Amino acid sequence: MSVALRRRQAFKVMIGLGGTAASAMLPGPAQAERTAARSAESTTEEHPAHPVAPPDAIAMLYDNTICTGCKACMPACNEANSLPTDTLLSGGIWDMPLGLNAKTKNIVEPYQDPQTDEFAFVKKQCMHCLDPACVTGCLFGALVKQDLGAVTWNSSLCIGCRYCEVACPFEVPQFQWQNWNPKIVKCEFCYDQRLKEDLQPACTAACPTGTVIFGKRSDLLAQAKERISTAPDKYFEKRVYGEYEAGGTQVLYLSSVSLQKIGLPKLGSTSIGHYATKVTSVIYKWLVGPVVVAGIFGFFIRRNWDRHESERLEHEEKTGYPDQL
Amino acid sequence: MTTTEPTADKRGTTLINHWQCGVPVTQGPVLTPFLLLLIGIAALGLALAAIRFFSPLGPFSGMNDVYAWGIWKTFNVMTLTALGSGPLALGMAAWVFNRQKLHVVMRTALVSGFLFYATGLIALGFDVGRPWNFYSALMPWRWNSESAMLEISICMPLYCAVFLSFEILPLILERVYYTGNERARVILCRVAPMVRKAYPFVIVGAYVIPLMHQSSLGGLLLLAGTKMNPLWQSPVLPLLYLVAAALCGFAFTILLLMIVCLRYSRDLDAGILAELANLLSGVCFVFLAVRLSDLIWREQLRTAFAFDRMSLLFLVESGLILIPALALRFQRIRETPRALLNMSALACLGGMLYRFIPTSIAYMPARSTAYFPSAPELVMAAGYIALGSVAFVLVINYFAVLPGEASAWNHTFRPFGWPRKAAESSPVMPDATGVTLERGI
Repeated sequence: MSVALRRRQAFKVMIGLGGTAASAMLPGPAQAERTAARSAESTTEEHPAHPVAPPDAIAMLYDNTICTGCKACMPACNEANSLPTDTLLSGGIWDMPLGLNAKTKNIVEPYQDPQTDEFAFVKKQCMHCLDPACVTGCLFGALVKQDLGAVTWNSSLCIGCRYCEVACPFEVPQFQWQNWNPKIVKCEFCYDQRLKEDLQPACTAACPTGTVIFGKRSDLLAQAKERISTAPDKYFEKRVYGEYEAGGTQVLYLSSVSLQKIGLPKLGSTSIGHYATKVTSVIYKWLVGPVVVAGIFGFFIRRNWDRHESERLEHEEKTGYPDQL
Repeated sequence: MTTTEPTADKRGTTLINHWQCGVPVTQGPVLTPFLLLLIGIAALGLALAAIRFFSPLGPFSGMNDVYAWGIWKTFNVMTLTALGSGPLALGMAAWVFNRQKLHVVMRTALVSGFLFYATGLIALGFDVGRPWNFYSALMPWRWNSESAMLEISICMPLYCAVFLSFEILPLILERVYYTGNERARVILCRVAPMVRKAYPFVIVGAYVIPLMHQSSLGGLLLLAGTKMNPLWQSPVLPLLYLVAAALCGFAFTILLLMIVCLRYSRDLDAGILAELANLLSGVCFVFLAVRLSDLIWREQLRTAFAFDRMSLLFLVESGLILIPALALRFQRIRETPRALLNMSALACLGGMLYRFIPTSIAYMPARSTAYFPSAPELVMAAGYIALGSVAFVLVINYFAVLPGEASAWNHTFRPFGWPRKAAESSPVMPDATGVTLERGI
């Protein structure tokens, strides 16, 4: 919460300062508003290339060497989030989603290699990135990173542009295509439902085998590394997926099989928000770039305008034809 | 306003003329069968759009959660606003770089640009799922200042509704002046100096703002990261999108001018077209230089010439831009109408491909789902384009948009109304009797 609050407060001050500065320099009130918006970039870097998790960041650790594929987490998730069951495939009997969709925030998917006997499960839900691309792109802040690190969605700010779906590298946010009042469906770490009441998320609470566990990110990361060091051959690439992926996520994976095969994309360690905003945040800082460009344009346009005007009058005198703009 | 010197007729082609001011189309029927067809398509598209407003997006479109953006966004907005960047490209050349010859074709560029933006915004309005929440745009404290999407959704309507509209305002005032009554003229005589005074200040905004949002359209795709093919995903996407907008702006304005001049059998002005073609070729070279150095910088040159599907697509796209870039270096080609028409069409196509591919063909998320626009989606997209075309035809018939000779302009405007009435009642101001012309708007 602290980061969001600081930004918001900075915003209000900037609207005052930037607004007056801009209205003196630029034409039109709209320009002044733009100044205010862009100048909200705070002095600390908003999107470091490698974000550091705050000390109170929570996380989930999923270890598919333990998972039995019982899917107990799925109805628990549906119940906690009051989601309908996806019974399309089973003819109205079972909850059988084919993947994350408008009725499913959490799913356990099996993976089997037809040639070898390789077999594994993977639980999919929002990864709650340390620097989420969806939050960076969301235009009115409908998606926000809450305290503890949960990424939540606010229906009253969302315009349904679906930019979050384009931005998310894990393809998590889902849009209700069949609803006239469509919502973005994504795992919110049970933020409103359970985290606020000091309860752990429904899926980790329901897991009978301890496959997916809840805790502080730093603790879980240490625990995951310990598991790797005790049985290094058990884990693919001997690493924790999510420690550095896309700048780090708050859902951590340990897997016995290739991570890409079970549907976790291969990503760099740089935060996507950093990649997308590193140049524009400099250009638009305090709206300096646009104001400078406007100044240069203004100089040349005024000069050329004066030339144009004198020529126009001369032309009009000579030919009698009025000029057009 | 400058008078252009007649171009020498080197090759026996009918090029020779000079455009001096905007002249309305005064001959021929307005409602042609082709226009009626376009009106039909536009009506169908808008009717579907109206139904869409009361229906969820699902049954209307082939979009899904993997390809969350359909052709309304990727074609009607991303691609067609590049064609609508004529006012930006020509205006920059004319006002900032003082290419005075281009002032006379600004109106054509302005009207087409305005219509591309307006129809694009209509398309967006029916594309978003929760349009009623858009009022947040008026509350700056809700803005997420680092979102490229915010920049676009604030800037585009602002540009279209305020800055472009202001640039077009003289067009409308002029008509009111020449066709209105005495009272209107008195009022306009007071308003016109104010418009003139504000004009150089307002157009600064009209060139800064599209620079921002046209580059932000490319900036949008940065967040898509590895989901986009590495040939297109690059940190210079915003710059390339901007250059592609200028490219399409010049190319489409040439194409449009030539097509309407053919359609209404008007004389072409080789000097102005050649100047535009010269600029177009320059912008094409800038685009290719940035594109190539970006590929070298990111060490993707090998992928670009791997001759697989994406590489071929890249080569076609670059070829479509390279051919006009090279061809238009030759004065002979610049001054041959047929070649100029073909070359500007190729450049248009190349620029459009570049703007279209990153969000559609090169957008390849891991989940295996296909997207192809559904029939209503296509009809609606076509409807928006038809709507823009109908509006353009009407505007050039009723307002002084298309460039022509000053002497050809006798201040006759078609009166609004049915064409039969127009034929009966002759317009107010015949010029032949030597009425002294008053100063225009």
